[in-house]
Parts: sequence; structure tokens; C-alpha cells
Amino acid sequence: MEKALWYLLVGTRGGKNRVRIIRSLDERPRNANQLAEAIDVDYNTVRHHLEMLVEHNILEKGGEDYGAMYFLTDQFEHNRETFENVTEHMEET
Amino acid sequence: MDQTIAVASAFAGINVVLLTVLTVIWIRNYRTFRTPLILGLVAFALVMLLENATALYFFFSMKMFYGNAPSVQQAVAVLRGMQFVALLFLTWVTLK
Repeated sequence: MEKALWYLLVGTRGGKNRVRIIRSLDERPRNANQLAEAIDVDYNTVRHHLEMLVEHNILEKGGEDYGAMYFLTDQFEHNRETFENVTEHMEET
Repeated sequence: MDQTIAVASAFAGINVVLLTVLTVIWIRNYRTFRTPLILGLVAFALVMLLENATALYFFFSMKMFYGNAPSVQQAVAVLRGMQFVALLFLTWVTLK
């Protein structure tokens, strides 16, 4: 999980938006549409990031239907410190 | 120019493009996250970029050196090709 966080957030192109998605879901669960609006990123881009984050067990999807909510996983909560380290010096957007 | 060296030059050229993409992504991420890990990635990409540029320079400026050595040409082309495959994977996972 630690390595996944570094890879997904720091090593890849979409890192910044992934951090914003995680922070936004930390406030409260949202679906893909609400997320796109909350962080002002294209819906399809948000879907791609959500897929990557679910694939790496950082997020989980509540339900299978359209408009399903996304939540932070327990595994992420256990590694929250890594997330804080990764974003420690991040410039606010 | 001999065909094998042309192939090697093409690989080196594409490698330069891939490494430029990686460098741009990682510099942007460094600006965002400011962590030492990304500085390492940026340095890695820049040195590899320089290495490929140097190889290109050799291919064009030292044709004589390779001219009478087909086996050296082949080895050089294979090495460039393998590096291309490696960089292709790295670029792919970085763009995801």
C-alpha cells in the first residue's frame, strides 16, 4: 500500500488530481459525478483515477449501479501516515 | 549510413522522446509534491536522456568507427532496442 501510494500520487501523471480526489472523499463519500464537480475535473478523467485507486485498494465502491458512492478503504486509513508524508510539502491548489 | 546503425539511431531518437515525456511529467510532479523521490526520478530521466543524445551523436559523427564492424552495429542496435522496450513500459505505467 505504501508503494502504491507513492506510485499513484507521486510517480505518475495524474498524481495531483488523485490527491484531490482522496481529500475530497475524506470530507465525505461522493459519487463520480459529484467528485468531478467538487474538484472541477473532467468526468472521464475522474472515472479513470477512481478505477486506478480502486484497483490499488485505496478506494472502494459502494454498490455496482450508476452513481455509486466511493469510500476510503480501511487499508488506506491504516496507511494514512504515508499519505500525509507524500503530501506533506504539496502546494495547495 | 548503414541500415543497422539507422535502426539504432531510430531507437535512440524514440528513447529521447520517451525520456522527454517522463522528465516533463516528473518535473511537474516535483513542483507539486516537492519530495526527494521525484528529484531522483528527474535525475534518472535526465541522465538517460543525455546518454541517448550522446549515442545519437556517436552514430552520426563516427560512422567510420562502425563502418567495417557489422557485429558491433548489431550489438549497438540490440542494446538500443532493449532500452526502448524498457522505457516503453516505464512510460506506459507513468502515463496511467
